[in-house]
Parts: sequence; C-alpha cells; structure tokens
Amino acid sequence: MLALSKVDASINNIPILRDISFTVGPAETVALVGRNGAGKTTLLRTIMGFTTCHGEMRFEGADLRAVDPHRRPGLGIGYAPEDRRLFSRFTITQNILLPAQVAKLGETETASRLERVYHVLPELRDLGPRPAGSVSGGQGKMVALGRALMLSSRLLLLDEPFQGLAPVLAQRYAEALGRLREIDPTLAIIITESNPELLRSFASRTITVERGQIDSDASNERTT
Amino acid sequence: MTMNIAALALLDGLAYASLLFLVAVGLTLIFGVLGILNVAHGSLYAIGAYATATLGQWLVAQGFNPWLTFPGMIVAAVAVGVLLGGLIERLLLQRIYSKDPVLQLLVTFAVFMILENLQRMIWGVQPYFMSTPLTVLGNVRLLGINYTAYQVLFLPAAALVVLFTLRYFLRHTNMGAQILAVTEDREAATAIGINASRVYFMTFVIGACFAALGGALATPTTSLVTGMGANMIVLSFAVAATAGLGQIEGAAISALIIGIARSFAVYLSPEIEVIMPYLIMVLVLLVRPNGLFGKETVRKI
Ligand SMILES: Nc1ncnc2c1ncn2[C@@H]1O[C@H](COP(=O)(O)OP(=O)(O)OP(=O)(O)O)[C@@H](O)[C@H]1O
Ligand SMILES: [Mg+2]
Repeated sequence: MLALSKVDASINNIPILRDISFTVGPAETVALVGRNGAGKTTLLRTIMGFTTCHGEMRFEGADLRAVDPHRRPGLGIGYAPEDRRLFSRFTITQNILLPAQVAKLGETETASRLERVYHVLPELRDLGPRPAGSVSGGQGKMVALGRALMLSSRLLLLDEPFQGLAPVLAQRYAEALGRLREIDPTLAIIITESNPELLRSFASRTITVERGQIDSDASNERTT
Repeated sequence: MTMNIAALALLDGLAYASLLFLVAVGLTLIFGVLGILNVAHGSLYAIGAYATATLGQWLVAQGFNPWLTFPGMIVAAVAVGVLLGGLIERLLLQRIYSKDPVLQLLVTFAVFMILENLQRMIWGVQPYFMSTPLTVLGNVRLLGINYTAYQVLFLPAAALVVLFTLRYFLRHTNMGAQILAVTEDREAATAIGINASRVYFMTFVIGACFAALGGALATPTTSLVTGMGANMIVLSFAVAATAGLGQIEGAAISALIIGIARSFAVYLSPEIEVIMPYLIMVLVLLVRPNGLFGKETVRKI
C-alpha cells in the first residue's frame, strides 16, 4: 500500500535521506530501527510531507508526493510524532477530536472513531477533561497515539513511542497496540525505535536505517 | 484639575482607547499567529478610513438615509481588509513565512510605503471629513458632561463586540481551533489535516479587517490626513508591545491604559502628550520585557 522508491530527502537543503526504497503492505507491522540521528524521524516526516524530497512515493497506487501535506491524513494516515506535540491550549479529549473536527466528520462517524480510540486506550476516558499541558510525558504518548488513531484507517506512523516510557507504561502501550491489531487487522503500522530488540516481538519485519540509508530489511521469525 | 476636566479626559481616553484597541488587536493577532510584525497595518487603517469617508460622503450626497453610513463603515472596512489584506498575503507574505524576521519586516515596510503613495494618489493631500455618524447619534450626558454618544457609547461598544467575538471565534469555532493549533505547532497541525496556509490567510485577512475597521470608525471623529497611517502603526505597536505581542485581552487593557493616560496628558501637560504612549511602553518593557501579559518563549494568542 505504501511504496517508496529511490527517495532522497533533505531539510533546509541539507541532504539527510538517500536512496530509500521499501514497501509496506496492509496488515504489516514494520519496525524501523537505527541509531540516534540515523534518519528515522526524517523518514516518517518525509511520508507526511514535511521535507523536500525526490524519488517516488506511492500510497494505495496514488502518487503521494502530489498530495498536499495537510491532505495526507485524510487518506487514512495517522502520525504520532516523537515528542508528542499535543496542543496545550486544548483538553485531552479536544486533542483527540480535533482531527475529526478538521476533517468535518459527521457526529456518528466521530463517535464511532472515538469509541475505537477508547477501546484501544481505555485510560484516555479518564484523562479526557484535563488540559493537554498537564499530563505526564508517558500519558502524553498515549494521547498522541489516540489522536493519530482518529484518522489512521490505513497507515499508522509511530515515532519512538516507547522512548522514555516506564516499564509498566511501555507494557500498557504494547497491549494497546495489540488491541489495535485485533480490531483493525488490515492497518499497516510503522514504528521507529533505537533499540531493535524491543519491537521484535510484535513487528513482522525490521528495516534498519543507517546514516540516511537503508542498511537491511528482513522479516522477523516469530520466536513466540 | 477639576472633576469636570477629569471626567472629560476619562471619556476622551475611553473613545481613543477603543480605536487604538481595534487597530492593535489586529496587529497582535497577526503577530501571534504568523509571527510577522505587519507595518502595512497602518496603511490598512488609513485606507479603511479614506474608503469610509468616500463611501459615506457619496451616501449622503445621493440623499440616502444618514443612518446608512453605519453599515457603510463596516462595508468599507471589510472590503479594504479582504481585498487589500487578501492581496498582500497571497502575493507577498505567503512567500516569506519561513524567511528571516528582518526580511519580513522590510517587506511589510515596503508595502506600507507603496500604500502610502497609492493613498496620496487616490485621495490627494487635502484632509477628508465624514462626521455623519457622529451627528445622527447625537449627545448624551455622562458624568455631568455632554459628550457625543458616538464616542462614549458606540466606539467602546464596538471595541467590546470585537473583543468578545474574537474570543468566542478562537475558542468555540472550528476555524478558531485551527488557528490556535497552527499557532502552537504548524507541523503537528498539518499532520492532523489542518491547512496551515489557509489558516494564515484567514488570520491575516481578519487582522487586516480590524485595522480597516479601526480606520473606518475613526473617520467621524478625525480629519483624515496623510501620515495618519504612520502615526497609527507606531501607536498600535506601542499598545501591542506594552501588552505583550500576541496578547488579545492584554491589548484591550493596555489600549485603555495608554488611551486614558494620553488624554489626561492632553489636559495636564500637553507637551508630553505625543510621547505619553511610548513613555508607558518603555516603562513597562523595562520592568517586564515581555509586556504586561506576555510570557517567555511560548507564542500564544
Ligand atoms: N531540522 C533539521 N535541520 C537540519 N538537520 C536535521 C534536521 N532534522 C534532522 N536533521 C539531521 O538529520 C539526521 C537524521 O535525523 P533524524 O531526526 O531523522 O534521526 P532519528 O533517526 O530520528 O534519530 P533519533 O533516534 O535521535 O530520534 C541527523 O543527522 C540530524 O542532525
Ligand atoms: Mg527521531
């Protein structure tokens, strides 16, 4: 569904990614691993349209580069950035609902998507009325996931979701992803992580990025 | 100073502060969202005033009901804000959002110079008047003084309507929410489907309309002369900076402070009248470099 071919990307004329080619199919969970500064965040931002890039990017057959960045979420792509980036002037619930409001989804559609978010992340129900600026970093990651889930009917991009999470919270986050897989088996997910071991249990494939290039792309044999 | 003069200064100040607020709130909104200090804001104010005078004089000359000059002020302001503001954003500003702030300042300054000359070409250098709204509203007795209802009732009411409408718009409408989101984090806003270019455009046009509305509402009480735009941009900058750039409610309060202080100066020591606004601004900024209500680093509206 997502296919990159010979993609180069730069930020402010500084070349960062070179010759990136890979495809992700529906229902796939791909781990994107690499050291700090390897280019994982830049790769996700390139898919969302926040870098200058060359090469070919197709999403469900259509040319993704021809789609304005603000229209890409409407294709069913959800993105949870590395540093959460919640809107602090809004409550948690407003943060989660904002994508639906912007897309002018109907009331019933919004309600059913919100139900889906609450099914995956039950803890968000109680956090709801709190201002987004007041939650902890870990809770913020959950909210950022919830917000991304509002629109991600096809593809979900998660940038280092486990970074900085205490073991209990990391466990809860992993369980949430498990529930998401159950209710939405055809969703494609790309998760970045600097520790390759962490994602081996639930990613079916690992792509390693090294200094802006793809170093390896291999499926993980299931150990469980 | 007698009680009478104090009351007079207070009412003068209130009327003046209302106009100052209208212009400053547009300036501060644009700065808060786009990060651009729009020097051309002063021209939008002046052209809004001239357009209102022209339209008002025409309405009166054609024998229309003089009350029509009220909607006339709004129509002229919105036309100037949407057309001129829209053109400035589309043709120029849109290309320089990611550029150096100094360059942005120079570009809006250039637009200001162009518009000043354009205004001279269209309206010449002789002063314009259009006081019909002032006369039809008549006088009221307030604090023991006869004063024009236009200045002590209509102008403050208009300023309050703008303040509360803007607050409501930002907090309770879809577009308002998008403006707040883009202000805080343009990329994160885009990633949830917000068209940031459109948000910038809308914000600039709204701010431009406020500048033009300030000029439109100033028309009945001011004689329109060249240089009024330059005067107003400096004054409204003083108001916005005193409040803290980007502070909407703060701009209302600092407009009141500066407006009233200035009119007291007119009666008490006329020689410091013109520097009064800047005196207040400098004093405030010495104690609070981010303005009365500004916070460090975070850009907020
Ligand atoms: N805005 C930017 N301007 C210039 N260079 C940048 C910018 N953003 C990233 N880079 C550079 O691009 C390279 C890749 O950065 P990126 O953030 O994609 O790495 P990452 O794999 O996500 O790292 P981390 O694990 O630390 O999150 C780095 O060398 C970084 O310095
Ligand atoms: Mg990163």
